[in-house]
Amino acid sequence: MALVGNLRDFNLADFLYLVDRGYKTGRLTLKRSDDAATLYFEKGKLVYATQYSREERLGEMLVRIGRITEQHRDHALRLQQGPYAGKPLGAILVELGYISEEELKRHVRTQIEETVYRLFTWSDGEFRFDAGVLVAPEDVMITLPLGVENIIMEGVRRIDEWSRIRDRIPSTDVVVKFVDQPSDRAKGVNLTPDEWRVFARINGKDSIRTIAERTGLSEFDVCRIIYGFISAGLVELVKERPPLPPGLSAPVPAERPKRSLINRIIERIRGM
Amino acid sequence: MKTVKMVITGAVNSGKTQFIRTISEIEVVSTERKTTDDARFIKGETTVAMDFGRITIANDLVLHLFGTPGQRRFDFMWEILSEGMLGLLVLVDSTRPETFRETLRIIDFFTSYRESPYVVVANKQDLENAWSPEELRLALRLPDEVKVLPCVATNRESVKNVLLELLYLVLQTAEEG
Repeated sequence: MALVGNLRDFNLADFLYLVDRGYKTGRLTLKRSDDAATLYFEKGKLVYATQYSREERLGEMLVRIGRITEQHRDHALRLQQGPYAGKPLGAILVELGYISEEELKRHVRTQIEETVYRLFTWSDGEFRFDAGVLVAPEDVMITLPLGVENIIMEGVRRIDEWSRIRDRIPSTDVVVKFVDQPSDRAKGVNLTPDEWRVFARINGKDSIRTIAERTGLSEFDVCRIIYGFISAGLVELVKERPPLPPGLSAPVPAERPKRSLINRIIERIRGM
Repeated sequence: MKTVKMVITGAVNSGKTQFIRTISEIEVVSTERKTTDDARFIKGETTVAMDFGRITIANDLVLHLFGTPGQRRFDFMWEILSEGMLGLLVLVDSTRPETFRETLRIIDFFTSYRESPYVVVANKQDLENAWSPEELRLALRLPDEVKVLPCVATNRESVKNVLLELLYLVLQTAEEG
């Protein structure tokens, strides 16, 4: 069974949070009219990502940035068709000494991360998550399990629409607090100086508006930063009591029922 | 005759009417009429007033089941319905993430006014592409102490299990006697 929906209702940050906390393995496919993307996860970590409109093979990418020559690439590709059949191109390039493994990993990591960051700008698009689907070995440049917390934070930095932030932060009057039990993984999130300034102002009492005033940042920037914190599971909004509808007084605290009464109901329903 | 109340709520088309219909010993009393808002695209007709069902516990005790409108404009009904209720069931259509945001709003609204026990019901688990209860918990960012229960509202045993789980929760907070 697949999880399906639209990014309009459940955005990429939400999905990455679900994948991370749910230790999900599978394939996330995103589609909109002019583009598509595929992300693979293993046990909550991002291992591969590709975007249709920017698909670039590993060999092409390394040639483009000048890390290997066309001759190196063609040599490795020929071997992949022959004696090295089934072996990822990256591994062949490393074995031939055309690039170091460390450098290869760095480039692949950057390519995957940049792909995902661009996807954060999609405010609309169908998604489908097929649990258990693994990336095909021949498609993988190199498997690099990437934690999604920092990807969320960086991806959110690319969001420039109030409307998406408003989905989670309805007003600058709301107060923010740290979650009671942040995930261990969330503790490894890398923050920018501005993010640290906001982070250090969170006290469970001050509103976002106050934090903006005290940090000198714009309300939009503070909201975007806090949106990232929320998406990464670091903080949450303090729930304010919404205004009562007109004509209604404050509610009376709920009366606690007697155990004997509850037990009678339980017995009756069990017997139905 | 003593009556006690349970309230069943949720976003449009989450299965409230069906849930009550499956367990009620009387024909469910529903007030439905054509709507002119977005709901008509989903259901054509949707609950704009209330559903009412009943389970007789004993000669001197009756359990009433009230289904509340999920739409925002019926928030004012909640105060009336939640007076004296044992607990609340928040139904979610597990196949429609577009309703998750509204479900969160409903939970926030409820929890900000009442301390009554509640559980979240991951309904329509029999349908293809249903999000599992654990996936719903993550999607809705619900804390571990909130129960998220699988349910198929057309199945009597499933509905019974959900009611019992809520009652066990109510029992934990009940007074001796």
